[in-house]
Amino acid sequence: MSDRPLTLPLALLLGLVTVVTLFPVFWILMTAIKPPTDWNAVPAIWVPSEPTLVNFQTLFDPEALGVYGVGGVSEAATQAVFGSLLASIVATALSVGIGLAAAIALSRYSGGGRATPLIILSGRMFPPAAIAVPFVIIFSTIGLIDTYFGLIAIYIAVTLPFSTWMLKSFVDEVPKEVEEAAMLDGLTRVRAHLTVTIPLIKGGLFATTLFIFILNWSEFLFALVLSYTTIETIPVRLAKYVTATAGTLYGVQAALAVLAMVPLVIAGFLIQNHLARGMTFGAVKR
Amino acid sequence: MTRHKLELIGLRKEYDDGNVVAVDGIDLAVESGETIALLGPSGCGKSTTLNMIVGLEEPTGGDIHIDGKSVVGRPPGKRNIGLVFQDYAVFTHMTVAKNLSFGLEVSGLPRSEINRRVGEAAELLGLTDLLQEKATRLGGSQLQRVAIGRTLVTKPAILLLDEPLSNLEAEARQAMRNELRRLQNEIGLTIVYVTHDQTEALSLANRIAVMSAGKIRQFDASGTVYNEPAHTFVASFLGSPAMNLVRGELRRDGQALAFKSGALTVPLPARFDAMAPADQAPVTLGIRPENLRIGQPGDSGLISTVSVVEPRGPEAALTVEAANTDFAVVVPSAARPEPGEEVSLQFPEDSLVLFSGETDRNLALPHNVEEAA
Repeated sequence: MSDRPLTLPLALLLGLVTVVTLFPVFWILMTAIKPPTDWNAVPAIWVPSEPTLVNFQTLFDPEALGVYGVGGVSEAATQAVFGSLLASIVATALSVGIGLAAAIALSRYSGGGRATPLIILSGRMFPPAAIAVPFVIIFSTIGLIDTYFGLIAIYIAVTLPFSTWMLKSFVDEVPKEVEEAAMLDGLTRVRAHLTVTIPLIKGGLFATTLFIFILNWSEFLFALVLSYTTIETIPVRLAKYVTATAGTLYGVQAALAVLAMVPLVIAGFLIQNHLARGMTFGAVKR
Repeated sequence: MTRHKLELIGLRKEYDDGNVVAVDGIDLAVESGETIALLGPSGCGKSTTLNMIVGLEEPTGGDIHIDGKSVVGRPPGKRNIGLVFQDYAVFTHMTVAKNLSFGLEVSGLPRSEINRRVGEAAELLGLTDLLQEKATRLGGSQLQRVAIGRTLVTKPAILLLDEPLSNLEAEARQAMRNELRRLQNEIGLTIVYVTHDQTEALSLANRIAVMSAGKIRQFDASGTVYNEPAHTFVASFLGSPAMNLVRGELRRDGQALAFKSGALTVPLPARFDAMAPADQAPVTLGIRPENLRIGQPGDSGLISTVSVVEPRGPEAALTVEAANTDFAVVVPSAARPEPGEEVSLQFPEDSLVLFSGETDRNLALPHNVEEAA
């Protein structure tokens, strides 16, 4: 961290950046507590005069908006929240776990030769939309469509390059001498990884986990094309809050978006020390 | 047969299917309680040798004996060897106490014994007040102490130190050098140093093994390595400036023996007669800069010109040109000439060393490490 004092121009710049980044968050928060009449009002209503929780209520009780004369909301968001939690947690855990093993293999055992990391990354070198349709066809043939198993498998496949590369950069930072020192103390190589390498990259591990979780949590395309009736996730649900009579239900969408932000914000706060350390640690004085 | 503490027998390491030979069949015997230095430039194979001794790499050929038993194939933790890494490799996510006790906990010693040994090591290295500190908070020489302490608690048969002082500031380096010497005296460990720093090797080791290109060029007492280099590499690696080496040939003119290189002719003393090869054989003449003498232009010796004068406090390093050859000369500051001055350059007979032009070996030392192998 630099010790330069916070000058006025610097403070203004910081303030501007903060306003620009937080404006969408502010807008969504406000929309989430607006009654249907305020959603599309012209001129825009910044802060609702009669804040309401009806949008949140609608997420779990589709009839709740009836008091405002808005009907036809088909389903509750309960299943989507459950689906997102299930798919994101399982896929993130597996992606980070497999990625960690791969990262150690690549960093310490030069597994598969020098091209391997690039080959792994090549899975991300084309737009997801290009593989979405083939996946729908393949998955329906093998019966994985509309299943959490299929969705989680895809999520692992598309996030694994990120988790591997991120974690590899953290493992690369740990000098191999630290593991060798542990081996000289009588540990096997694998146990040296477990007791020394992994604790040393803890910050990086947290940062990677959060990043991969955000990717999975906000994924829309695959969830949309692979889900019919059995599975649903929050982003897919968000797109479905459109009714024939009232058009897009902006308030309900905003309420669901606020709900979706909560776990990320909490996780971010809990591990923010690690996030900062994840980028700055160094085990060796050079 | 005497049992050596550590013995390397024809130790060899190849990489890339034998295309790269990092260690080319070396033999080395270290006695108990002795401190030796493996000295050489980077890439000479000394770190590979070290890794093979501790078991981080397996040799391609040859054997390693510790206390008379082969340890090849044994995992690193089962060789009873301590290694202090160049970058310390301290576990920064643990406290100092935890670092010190790590190896003992792995080996499953009872808690009371662990605490006793950790306390002892902390005492010995002046770490007692830092035991509860996280290792991330420590400075270079403190990390170094932790690294040494962590190794000492396991009571290794041999302590290996890989460039132990290279990461320290000049001041801390001197202090740590004194400290290592004190440890050596207090606990009488067998120590193998790996270093590229001749000062470190000369000041700490009883014997020095000088390595280059995967071979041990000489293994002798520190003074011997300096004064009687067995190989031109040893001559050129030790000393600052290094020994003057001039390639030329031997001339026998009746009884008189002389070294000739272009316009340069240096008469050789009779002691070279027996060992020196035939007339016109290629040889390399060596003489240490501090052994060369300069005199007034009228004195005996080669007429030469001082081209560079580098003051170094109590002494001065000169470059003197004689018969189209540059010589490094070290003289006391008081006797320092000016650049451009004409002087006579004298070659004291006792200080001359003659190397074979073909094998680069010292002609006065027929038996050296490699030929004995």
